[in-house]
Amino acid sequence: MSFFEPFNIALQLLFSFDAELYDVIFLSLQVSSTAVFSALLFGIPIGAVLAMKRFFGRSALLVISKTMLGMPPVVIGLLVYVLISRSGPLGFLDILYTPQAMMLAQFILILPLSIALSHQIFEKLHSELNLFFMSLGLGELKRVLTLLCEARYELITITMVCFGRAISEIGAVILVGGNIKYLTRVMTSSIALETSKGNIAFALALGIVLMLIALLINLFSHMLSQSVLKEATNG
Amino acid sequence: MGKQKIAKNELITARNITFERSGQALLKDINLSIASGMITMLLGHNGAGKTLLMQVLHGLLEPSAGEIRTIGRAGQKMVFQKPVMLRRTASQYFDFVCPACLPHKKQDWFHKAGLTGRVNTPARLLSGGEQQKLSLIAALATQPDLLFLDEPCANLDFEAIDFVESELLGARDAGMTIIMSCHNKNQAQKLADYIILMRRGRVAEYAEKEHFFSSPTSEAGKEYLSYN
Repeated sequence: MSFFEPFNIALQLLFSFDAELYDVIFLSLQVSSTAVFSALLFGIPIGAVLAMKRFFGRSALLVISKTMLGMPPVVIGLLVYVLISRSGPLGFLDILYTPQAMMLAQFILILPLSIALSHQIFEKLHSELNLFFMSLGLGELKRVLTLLCEARYELITITMVCFGRAISEIGAVILVGGNIKYLTRVMTSSIALETSKGNIAFALALGIVLMLIALLINLFSHMLSQSVLKEATNG
Repeated sequence: MGKQKIAKNELITARNITFERSGQALLKDINLSIASGMITMLLGHNGAGKTLLMQVLHGLLEPSAGEIRTIGRAGQKMVFQKPVMLRRTASQYFDFVCPACLPHKKQDWFHKAGLTGRVNTPARLLSGGEQQKLSLIAALATQPDLLFLDEPCANLDFEAIDFVESELLGARDAGMTIIMSCHNKNQAQKLADYIILMRRGRVAEYAEKEHFFSSPTSEAGKEYLSYN
């Protein structure tokens, strides 16, 4: 296998609109973007509340969310597996080996990350702006909305970090998804499978596609940040 | 100084105010009344407690002990020593602080402050002096009954200081009550009606301006005025 062979295969697969490849790509994007969107929907408000409010159990919540940052995806996958397996407490959902199970696993994986990063951002902004807000007599909702608006650049970055973590993990999705062709096979699990079959060139090609997707997403994020920054600079 | 000071038409009354942080009393036995429609100037060395006293009187910090009677928060504004700027343009910042201000009034304020050319500049990219002026005009535009100013001229050039001083005197004459801190004795003589001298978290002297500068009664006052 020459150095350029995987690149050739990657390009051939992409431009021949290989059904299996595109199925894997779309499923990966669908699972990860749903998980990220849901995690941010919960994580950002929780991070904001942890930064702005002092209440019993706040420190414990912070410690738990930060501890879970280091939790290996495979352990999270195992926990979700136990939860949703037929004899588990959520077995009635009957979602084991479905994309929904993969979304749930990635959601649990990313939620602590979104909470920890949001908390860090909002705590800094809140300490800068709190007295100002108090002086203006702003209500709770206006404060939160203003903080969200002030944190817009950082929130784009948090979204990208969470998406990167979600789309690149394999341990959780392979455990609860089962790597079933045309159903739960995503890019990372597909790469693992092709490697185990000795199909290194194909696996590398998939890796290149994954890198390309990551590059495109980050390019989009960068352009979005720049346009927001330009808008602020030009008024 | 534990003795209570009473001003005519008092807008704020503070009784036995103490403020502690980490077991250390940063404000001690503050008893004072602030006159309505006057400029009360807080003087004192760095760390004397001027900013802290203003924040406590404004209600931003809860005193550890004592009682403050004042008007509602809606009628008060504060301009901080280091202006807090949002990630928006100068014009949008002004609207945020003073949402009820009419566009032509806003234009007038920007014109008077010499900020007309900076309307669409991001507030955080303004110079320190411009930020100071922007936060001041936005606060003045809300026409509060009570305005707290923490060293409002700290970053300003002579022209801007003239502008601020004339606006403050105009606001005072229109009935606004102003409590401000500064380190400039000339400015205090020019603007103040009353002087509060702070020393180590206590009110060392509280007097009408003329009395304070001509015949301070406290040792702290005499010492403070001995510096050029």
